[in-house]
Amino acid sequence: MVGGAPNEVAFWNKLAKEFEKETGIKVEILKQPADTEQRRQGLVIALTSKNKDPDVFLMDVVWIPQFAASHWLEPLNSYLKRDSQILKGFFKNVIKTVDVYHQNIIALPVYIDGGILYYRKDLLQKAGFKNPPQTWEDLVDYSLKIQRIIKKENPDFYGFVWQGAQYEGLVCNFLEIATSNKGGIFFKNGRIILNIPQNIKALEFMKDLIHKYKISPPNTFTEMKEEETRIFFQKGNALFERNWPYAWMLHQAQNSPVKNKIDITELPHFKGGKSTSALGGWHIGISKYSDNKKASWKFVKFVTSYKVQKELALNLGWNPARTDVYKDKEILKTLPHFKKLRVIFNNLVPRPKVPYYPLISETLQRYINGALAGKIEPAKALAQAQKEINLIVNRYEK
Amino acid sequence: MKTYYKSEIKTALIFLTPLAIFILLFVFIPIIATFINSFFKDITFLNKKFIFLQNYFYLFKDAGFWQSLRFTLLFIIVSVPAEIILGLIFALILNYNIPYRGFIRVCVLLPWVIPAVVSARLWELIYNYSYGLANFLLLKTGLINELVNWLETGFSAFFALIVADVWKTTPFVAIILLAGLQAIPQEIYFQAMIDRANVWQRFSKITLPLLKPILIIALLFRTIDAIRIFDLVYVLTKGGPGGSTTSLSLYAYKYFLSGDFGYASSISIILFLISFIISLLYIKFGKFEQEIL
Repeated sequence: MVGGAPNEVAFWNKLAKEFEKETGIKVEILKQPADTEQRRQGLVIALTSKNKDPDVFLMDVVWIPQFAASHWLEPLNSYLKRDSQILKGFFKNVIKTVDVYHQNIIALPVYIDGGILYYRKDLLQKAGFKNPPQTWEDLVDYSLKIQRIIKKENPDFYGFVWQGAQYEGLVCNFLEIATSNKGGIFFKNGRIILNIPQNIKALEFMKDLIHKYKISPPNTFTEMKEEETRIFFQKGNALFERNWPYAWMLHQAQNSPVKNKIDITELPHFKGGKSTSALGGWHIGISKYSDNKKASWKFVKFVTSYKVQKELALNLGWNPARTDVYKDKEILKTLPHFKKLRVIFNNLVPRPKVPYYPLISETLQRYINGALAGKIEPAKALAQAQKEINLIVNRYEK
Repeated sequence: MKTYYKSEIKTALIFLTPLAIFILLFVFIPIIATFINSFFKDITFLNKKFIFLQNYFYLFKDAGFWQSLRFTLLFIIVSVPAEIILGLIFALILNYNIPYRGFIRVCVLLPWVIPAVVSARLWELIYNYSYGLANFLLLKTGLINELVNWLETGFSAFFALIVADVWKTTPFVAIILLAGLQAIPQEIYFQAMIDRANVWQRFSKITLPLLKPILIIALLFRTIDAIRIFDLVYVLTKGGPGGSTTSLSLYAYKYFLSGDFGYASSISIILFLISFIISLLYIKFGKFEQEIL
């Protein structure tokens, strides 16, 4: 079961045909919408009703704890024992943080996502900045200086665009900024810890980007999701952009106004902190209710193979889950930014790994977005969110 | 009360049976199943357990639930009267013998014909901050100097939703009321004119009372629809900013997605009870048993 943009579905259809040619096993691709939530809805319905189909499906990183704890995923250990060499090429940190449940590997990564900073190297150069900003303080500084000049000609220009609308992406943005200040979302003794000075400072900073420094557009917290930020930046209306790596190919497309004017780097951090990226991406797993697990495993192996992973990168610009692909000569020639990505992907920070994560996220989104909107003070927002989330934790931990 | 012949009753039963089966299968059974489910801790990743009313107790403590309940009720209170009043005005205008009446009727009906999600996307493009039509037009005409962020506060997002909903559903009200207006015999108006009743008297003493049963039906339909508001919110605001526009059905949906079917069921049951009670009130005060004229 796959979804996403039409070119992605077309690619999966092509893969299914290749697979059939190689193994003689026919794969039927079930189409899903592009929207992540709707994709989850389709799977939840199929799996709660113990449907035999789909046999194999793609999962967003954050669904895996729920799917695993619901016993919907076939443990892969016994299959891996026979094919142990295939584990070697992967990003180990990803498998360790995501795909292991009760000592069993229950899924394998297909591609990896992490937040990165896109920047306009032409504008930085013109303003006399040699390097992209290392710290958030630098980012604000550079933005203010360059924004002031460019706004005279282009009033729509802003320093920094990121994802602030009330949805999952906002949690990733918050997590990155908070961890880069040595904060984050922690669990201790069955309680969540959120309301700490490091996090408050991070959230205050996010709010200031919009309301105080005014280097992020006022619709950041109402409309800005991935595509909105990508389009904003691609039109040439922003100096910096936080987005996932998928935007690279689109920014560099033939008709893109920012083509060849951009570069990527790791996200900034606060003084004394360390840069991190929120771990995203999609993983592949086999349904416990599948009536064809052996063939399913062959397909999983096929999708995670070096060859297919390389195709994934070349055709869709997705970031393979295997480190070895990043050193491929052909890859580095067409996608030179993969060299930087490989380094960035060693500093991935996962979102809380609990089966009821969607509810935690829902609450977080509500309060963080409320703080960005100025509805509630950041400190109070985090205190309230912590209180509410602990109610949820109590409810589901018993 | 009219009495019926046995054969009449028999024919009526035969005709009603398919509908009854349909309602039983697709309305009653799901409602009862949801009701039963709301007494369970039914979460995909935990063992199913009977907990009786605990889901409902939890509802009372849940700030998110109260917030979405408040939003949903406010949404009904503001959107439904606006739609009824505007719909009535449209219906009265369309009832006159104006030129191109057929064409105008089709135009008025258009928003209702568009699927809800499509019209929500449409409004998304209108409200969009940087390339939306609303800001573009206001800026070009000089009514604003700075772009307006239509979905910025809970208040403005609320009214953005109201405007989109009123735009979409007023035609429905107008068409229903128009049918009601056309059922009123013209003779009554002629008689009233002979008695020298002015326009207002004719409207308030004839049109409104005779239109009342239809008005109640329009109100009922609109209220029940408004209680379930989902698509518009899902597309336009996703419940933001800060959860201030999360409707009850969107809230239930979020729990359903998270695999907590028991809790989602209890929210749905509350939703069902609210619309059930409102329907009963309408039917009671609408006095449907009275015959027109």
